[in-house]
Amino acid sequence: MEGILDSYMRFLATLTPAYFFELFWFYFVFEFIRYFFLEFIVLNLYKIKSWTQRDKKEDARRRLFLENPLVSILIPGKNEGKHLYKLANSLSEQTYKNIEIIVVDDGSDDETPIIGRSLEKAGLIDTFIRNELRGGKASAANCALRFAKGKYIIHLDADCSYDNDAMEKILIPFFMDNRVGGVGGNVSVRNYNESLVTTLQGIEYFNTITTGRTVTSYLGIYRIISGAFGAFRADVLDQLKGWDIGPGLDGDITVKIRKKGYKIAFAEDANCLTSVPNTFKKLIKQRLRWDKSLVRFRMRKHRDILIPNQSFKYSNFISAFENITYNVLLNFKWYVYLGIMLTYYRPLFLNIFITNILLYTATNYVKFVVYSLYRPKAHVSMSYFLVYLPCMVLYYGMYLRAVRTVAYLQEFFFKKSYQDPWNPRKTSIHGEYLGI
Amino acid sequence: MKHFETHNYKSNFVLEQGQYSYVYIRNFEIPPLEEIADHDAVVIEVKNLDFVRLIVNAVRSNLDPDIYLTPIFLLKKDVLDDVPYIEELVDGSIKSLDDLGFVNKEIDKINIRKNSLNITSSVSFEAQVITKLIALMYVRELKVLNPIPDKYSNLYYSFPFMAINFEEKEEHLALKILNLAEEEGMLRSEYFDRVYLCSSCSGSHMSYREVCPKCSSSNTTPSDIIHHFPCGYVGPMKDFSNEIDDKLDCPKCNKRLRHIGVDYDKPSVIHHCNNCSHNFQDYNVNAKCMSCHTDRSVETLKAHDIKTYRLTKKGELAAIKGFTSTSKDIEDVMGTVKYDTFKTMLKYEIERLKQTLGDSNLCAIHIGNSSQVYSKLGSELQRGVFKDLVSVIRSNIRSSDVIAFWSSSTIVVSMNDIPHKIALRITGEMVELLSELIKSSFDDLEVNFETKTVALDYRKPHEMQLRELLAEFD
Repeated sequence: MEGILDSYMRFLATLTPAYFFELFWFYFVFEFIRYFFLEFIVLNLYKIKSWTQRDKKEDARRRLFLENPLVSILIPGKNEGKHLYKLANSLSEQTYKNIEIIVVDDGSDDETPIIGRSLEKAGLIDTFIRNELRGGKASAANCALRFAKGKYIIHLDADCSYDNDAMEKILIPFFMDNRVGGVGGNVSVRNYNESLVTTLQGIEYFNTITTGRTVTSYLGIYRIISGAFGAFRADVLDQLKGWDIGPGLDGDITVKIRKKGYKIAFAEDANCLTSVPNTFKKLIKQRLRWDKSLVRFRMRKHRDILIPNQSFKYSNFISAFENITYNVLLNFKWYVYLGIMLTYYRPLFLNIFITNILLYTATNYVKFVVYSLYRPKAHVSMSYFLVYLPCMVLYYGMYLRAVRTVAYLQEFFFKKSYQDPWNPRKTSIHGEYLGI
Repeated sequence: MKHFETHNYKSNFVLEQGQYSYVYIRNFEIPPLEEIADHDAVVIEVKNLDFVRLIVNAVRSNLDPDIYLTPIFLLKKDVLDDVPYIEELVDGSIKSLDDLGFVNKEIDKINIRKNSLNITSSVSFEAQVITKLIALMYVRELKVLNPIPDKYSNLYYSFPFMAINFEEKEEHLALKILNLAEEEGMLRSEYFDRVYLCSSCSGSHMSYREVCPKCSSSNTTPSDIIHHFPCGYVGPMKDFSNEIDDKLDCPKCNKRLRHIGVDYDKPSVIHHCNNCSHNFQDYNVNAKCMSCHTDRSVETLKAHDIKTYRLTKKGELAAIKGFTSTSKDIEDVMGTVKYDTFKTMLKYEIERLKQTLGDSNLCAIHIGNSSQVYSKLGSELQRGVFKDLVSVIRSNIRSSDVIAFWSSSTIVVSMNDIPHKIALRITGEMVELLSELIKSSFDDLEVNFETKTVALDYRKPHEMQLRELLAEFD
């Protein structure tokens, strides 16, 4: 240990700025500039815009309550009965009251039908539709959509909970800009203190996802309205005839709305709490699904966004390009960096590794503290996460990167997403055949 | 074959054959009903069942026992459809007037039993109906009262001997009175069926409909939901119907649906309300009452058990001796407590005596000729007599003493903390006062009061002491 420390100190002493850049170009070029410097600038701009538009936002809120449109809340899912009572109760507490709640049970094999029916009878939900045959999340959402009467549609996950002003907040962007076709809510982790893996996800949602969505929304390239909490204009969904088969249908519908020429907004003050996977194994399963859908939808189904044609839009292009570049290309580029370091700087590899960890950890701390000045109210004390921040380097840089790599390769070469049991085979087989 | 000499018409309505005279009702002509009491039986020519029903109802619903207990026979030339309601109310049928001789035996039997009855007038309507029922059952040796499925009945089941006393809309009261008679020990019941009655009017003519859970309209349309696998579209069948042929085309991707289970399926059925546009799967079932037109959920209907009833020995005795009042009637008399309460208080008094070794007494005042007395009094007067008796007794005992009716003819009184001799004296004084009261109120009414007063024995259970006290009045 003493030897390692001694060697590391000697290594630091040899570092000139040029040599430093030579060894850590990957961090500077891709990580620091994109994920700290540019984000920091945009966050400032976003804050300024929020401040200058505060009257417009208040006016939008006033118009929302004046018009008081019916809002349909769709809750599709399988075996979600145990969450329904709590969810319906929390929805009845919402500040925005003109809502209809439609729950679709996608072939549950537990007590969900009994619970759903009794909640419908008790008037806590407006419509409960039980589909005996499971059709997948998209079909359940489409079923709910078909019978929705609202002017706006909000899609929720049954296992989430919502601030009592969340529905109001997620609707306001529609009244600020009539070109907005969909709005994503701000999803945070409810069970952040359940295990190490949920804590790390808590930090990820807290520091990366929320900030990332704020930034991309400001830049007009926000690309995924979370399935856990998303709002849509009913007429837009009607044009699209709802969701296509998943997995990854929330990202898919967002792109489809973009392609129709509508804007996508992020409502950072519309808070939703979700339960994230509580073991590394479950998280791998979830992230493989998410990452595979990036290849399937961005790079295959919606590759036309990248091709200049009549419906070409720069914002859509940048949205997809940025997504593909930073998530797919740089993911593989990292292996190139790793290869170079192992090939040409093998004797220094341990020192480079340690320095990288220190660099990323330091950046994480700075980001965490600085960004907290820009974040809206949170459900958790920031200090809880500070201890765990050093783990984020391994979590994000190694663990999630490895999962991503596997997911991309599986999807590139084996189209594995079509075999995902998340979706019933009877529908996936058609998706695979049609290449969607 | 003719068994007896031919009949003779004495008047338009009266027919005689030997020693028997019959009221003969035919050609839709109705005789004065009071005439029936002077004849042995009624014969009704069956040409129209509604007319027969009308006559039979009129006779059996009459309040005079000499009329409602009169045997009724139907003259049926042809075999008619089975009409169990009427069959239950009549005593037999003949094919021609020449067959009258066949039924005379039955007439004799009925009239003998009828004459053995001691019909008293009753305190309440309930007691009156019970009296009629047990009298009719006893006279006709009808051991079991069966409910008859009857489409004309407001309950779907009829107890003809009960139904005659009620308007169609009030028929549910028959069930209440039958239950009361069972509580009084006159009848014993067995479960037969259950009916659900309107919570507003107690009618059972209901129209059951599947209705929208939001607006309760029955104007709903069911539809299969279709899920198209390739594009994930889900909607009711009409979304997929095209106007050119009867094939199904997906409204989202325009593909033709070909093979259920392969490219589409039908995961469920949904109902659309044409009144309020609500979509639902779980409809409510409402019952619309055809009598009062209220439309409510079936859960609001009142369930009533329909039972078969048997006349008990107590019932037979009550028919013979007369049944004046139900427990409910006498419990309502001011200044008295329920008999069960009386027993409980007596039990505590005995417990108290164990500690104090004091003197307490138990007294019974019985009207020996209650049947005659009550039959001479109308219902209102009876109730008045009950009140007066209690008020006289109350004025002679201390306010801490308790009075209860054991039956309509026997009153029990507790007289606590006084020597037995004084209790006997007070009882004697009370009887004198009661006799004077009756004399001053009714000219030709003689009431035989019998009394028994015993000193309470704290070594004996209270129930035994009551039994011993009341044994001779049972």
